[in-house]
Amino acid sequence: METFDISNWLWPAVSVLLAILLLWALRRRPQAMARPQPSRLVEMEDTLKEVYKLQRDETAVKAGALARAMGISEEMTEGLMEVLVTSGWAEGDVSAGIRLTTRGRERAQELIRAHRLWERYLVDREGMPLDAVHVEADRREHGMTPDEAAELDAELGHPAWDPHGDIIPDAGRRAPPPAGSPLAVCTPGDRLRILHVEDEPPALFAQLVVMGFRPGVEVEVVERKPGHLRVRIGSNLFSLATAAAERVDAAPAPVLPVPLSELPVGSRAMVAEVKGGGKQQRRMLDMGLVPGAEVTAIRTAPLGDPIEYRIKGTAIAMRRSDADSILVEEVRNG
Amino acid sequence: MDKKTITVGVAGNPNVGKSVIFNALTGSRQHVGNWPGKTVERAEGVFHYQSWEIRLVDLPGTYSLAAQSPEEVIARDYILSDEPDVVIDIVDATCLERNLNLALQILELTGRVVVALNLMDEVRRQGWKIDAEALEADLGVPVVPTVATEGEGLPKLLAAIVDVATGQRQTHPAAVNYGLTVGGYVESLEADLARMGMGGRRRWVALKLLEDDPQIVEAFQQGDLAACRLEPDDDALPVSPEALQAVLNRAVRLREGTRPDAKVEIVRRRFEFAHDVVHRVARRLRPVEESMTERIDRIVTHKVWSWPIMLAMLTLVFWITIKGGEIGGGWLEAGLSRLIRLSRAWLTSIQAPWWVSGALVDGLLMGTGTVIAAMLPPMIILFVAFALLEDLGLLPRMAFNLDRPMRAVGSQGKQTLTWGMGFGCNVTGVMASRIIENKKVRLASILTSPLIICSGSYGAGVALAIALFGDRALSVILSLVFLSLGAAFLATLVLNKTIFRGEPGGFVLEMPPYRRPKFGQVAWRALVDRVAHTMWRAVEFAAPATLLIWVLGNVPPGAPFEQTAIGWLVRTLAPLGRLWGLSGEMLTALLFTLPAKEIIVPALAMTYGLQASLAESEQVLAYLPQAWTPLTAYTFLLFFMLYLPCLVTVWATWKETRSLKWTLMGLVVPLVMASLITFVVYQTGQLLGF
Repeated sequence: METFDISNWLWPAVSVLLAILLLWALRRRPQAMARPQPSRLVEMEDTLKEVYKLQRDETAVKAGALARAMGISEEMTEGLMEVLVTSGWAEGDVSAGIRLTTRGRERAQELIRAHRLWERYLVDREGMPLDAVHVEADRREHGMTPDEAAELDAELGHPAWDPHGDIIPDAGRRAPPPAGSPLAVCTPGDRLRILHVEDEPPALFAQLVVMGFRPGVEVEVVERKPGHLRVRIGSNLFSLATAAAERVDAAPAPVLPVPLSELPVGSRAMVAEVKGGGKQQRRMLDMGLVPGAEVTAIRTAPLGDPIEYRIKGTAIAMRRSDADSILVEEVRNG
Repeated sequence: MDKKTITVGVAGNPNVGKSVIFNALTGSRQHVGNWPGKTVERAEGVFHYQSWEIRLVDLPGTYSLAAQSPEEVIARDYILSDEPDVVIDIVDATCLERNLNLALQILELTGRVVVALNLMDEVRRQGWKIDAEALEADLGVPVVPTVATEGEGLPKLLAAIVDVATGQRQTHPAAVNYGLTVGGYVESLEADLARMGMGGRRRWVALKLLEDDPQIVEAFQQGDLAACRLEPDDDALPVSPEALQAVLNRAVRLREGTRPDAKVEIVRRRFEFAHDVVHRVARRLRPVEESMTERIDRIVTHKVWSWPIMLAMLTLVFWITIKGGEIGGGWLEAGLSRLIRLSRAWLTSIQAPWWVSGALVDGLLMGTGTVIAAMLPPMIILFVAFALLEDLGLLPRMAFNLDRPMRAVGSQGKQTLTWGMGFGCNVTGVMASRIIENKKVRLASILTSPLIICSGSYGAGVALAIALFGDRALSVILSLVFLSLGAAFLATLVLNKTIFRGEPGGFVLEMPPYRRPKFGQVAWRALVDRVAHTMWRAVEFAAPATLLIWVLGNVPPGAPFEQTAIGWLVRTLAPLGRLWGLSGEMLTALLFTLPAKEIIVPALAMTYGLQASLAESEQVLAYLPQAWTPLTAYTFLLFFMLYLPCLVTVWATWKETRSLKWTLMGLVVPLVMASLITFVVYQTGQLLGF
């Protein structure tokens, strides 16, 4: 019969325990690098950015406006506003509207800086397509410390612009929110990007948001008439009373690379990128569609496709689907 | 030895007047064939200049030497080979920048280059001035301004060729600066290659490795450098496959390590170089005006007007083909009948037995003569019309306008051009398909062209339709034309959904400016050659076939119709056509039309036992309406229009594909489509009680 002797088991047990501990410690490392991202933090920082965008001239941001901007219910918004106030990023009463504190504003700017740096990183270093970087940068920006942002900044060679054409704010120096001009005074034909939508009076603000007037959205002023403007957002045309247009601030939209097929007939553009690979890409390159080359859309075929382009003195027709593999930046005259 | 030979490769972009210069220099002393193992045309010509014999080899027109298409591979391999003493690069001076892309690539391969700066008249008309001497200084090789159509500058070009070939003129070919990064990679790969013991063209090979050139990459993978004419130094050690693989891997890493990838950067740098050169040598003297091309294009590609214009154009070509065919055919037939009379008289005078005169005159001479009389005039007219439309620049516009509808069946605009030509003659339709670079679309065009009604089957079909349907003939013919077009669309769709599934079908097309078509006598020469060649083939097929038909109708000699070989054929084939409502007589007659569709009426006369030779006959046209019901008549006409291409078309298919498989498919596709459509029409007709 065997007797149970603890001393036989002690050392094996201790070593197993140590091994587990060691493994756990090693496992934790990368997690620590990636930084825990409690969903609460993500929500808080997202709310903070949204409040920062909505807040202007020290006016308080109310739950209704914030809820519409974020696309969530008012109760949820109120909860988040509460958290912002308790964390010291905002002050004021949830029901009357909150304002960001200095700390809150700084954090919001840090977030914007981190976001734009990440976008730059994703495009330059990981070759991610432009339309995908925003979401990914939204994920990576959270919990980023100013030091980490500075490191990323140095790594990227201190870029001035994000890939969408927005200025990356300097560390420490406050990025003044771009001023823009009221939509009411903009020149017809301009393509603009909305910077700010005044949230007073609430009824008008609500209506503007429903129509699609939000910060970041591109608009085109089609025509200015006495008393109202005709404005296009995407494919929708709106008539906007001048009084309402006074409450929307916009600045010229940055020039973004778009697929060549979207270049309007008669417009000139510069080739930014020739995507794809293999024969098709090579053929395009040999036709003269190299980065930096100028290309003009001449006409479309009677049925809308293919499109004829002028490139380096020759006319070349290609299908929309083929032209999509080429990204261009529109060149504006004057 | 007082005559020495200089071999010259003629390179250039498409549409730069390469063939005009080639024809102007070689005149009629040229030979047209194919490049070994390829379906790409190769033209060669010899002429004498001073004490030299100069041999010109026309290389395929390409935008680049990137080995992405058979044309590019041919042009590049030829320049890489030891064969040419000099390469002339013909450059379109009106779009110098794009053309310099090719010129710079040629200069990377060889320094023995002469650049012909062609279309200088066009440049002057557009208000530009190009300083050829400055360009010469920039490129480091002789540059000769030319106007090929007027012969301007050609003597200077020849002098430059001799100077470069004899080494009297040293060249210093320009080298593109590929920048610090890529340039550095090139140098370091070059060093790797030198260490391996590779001889000349190291820089070029290094560049191609970074460009991800398919041919070079494959050569490195296979360890077979000779395959793309890259032999290592004679005294060097043999290169191990491992070393090649290592260099290749390194090149891949370097290429992918840059953004944008090194390939893009290399092409970009080349264009940047070209851009700088152009802006150093070209000066605008007058402000830009709207060009003629712009004005014409606005109408020809107009949303509304383009359609009637294209329709009118096609109708015109078609009408001229048919009218010209009638007139020319009439002359030829008159000549033929005189020839027949004379031969018969001569044979009688030497007392030849009946079967000799029958076989030779009624069989061989009459059959072959009929085929020539029917095919030659429309073929000539169409070849000319096609060349004319192409020279004018109208064909690319049609492809542009019609691309969208053709995409619905998985194809592209250029296929409609081959169909348009096919309307005149299926042979030209098949041959015209060579303007399509995309392999899949080219094959689809070749396979579907025979479904299009050709002027031969159209002419014979009209005669039959008038005899069979009287007043309703017009609507019958129109419905047949539409059914044949529908069959071509359907066949294309099916092919693209099955055999050609998933293959890329991109559509990138240059739209050259409209130019006055230039028909010097030399261009005629090539045209006549081509027609004569095709016609000779037609005779080669028609002669034995018509002889055979005559024999079938006349053995055993003097027997009643039922006992002749044709009678036997008619009985044997009869069960085959039941489902389609086709009788044995019809099927036999259809077999007889394989040499040429035009002979359907005399063929029917033979199979119905009305006559024993392929002579033109009105008798059968009076007989048929009593023998056939309207439904049978319609079914027969439909099957006749679609069923099989004539033998010359089959030969053309073979010539254009060089593949037994695709030639057979060229028979199967029309046969299947004809059977299918005729079956549906016949059975539906029966159900409806016709």
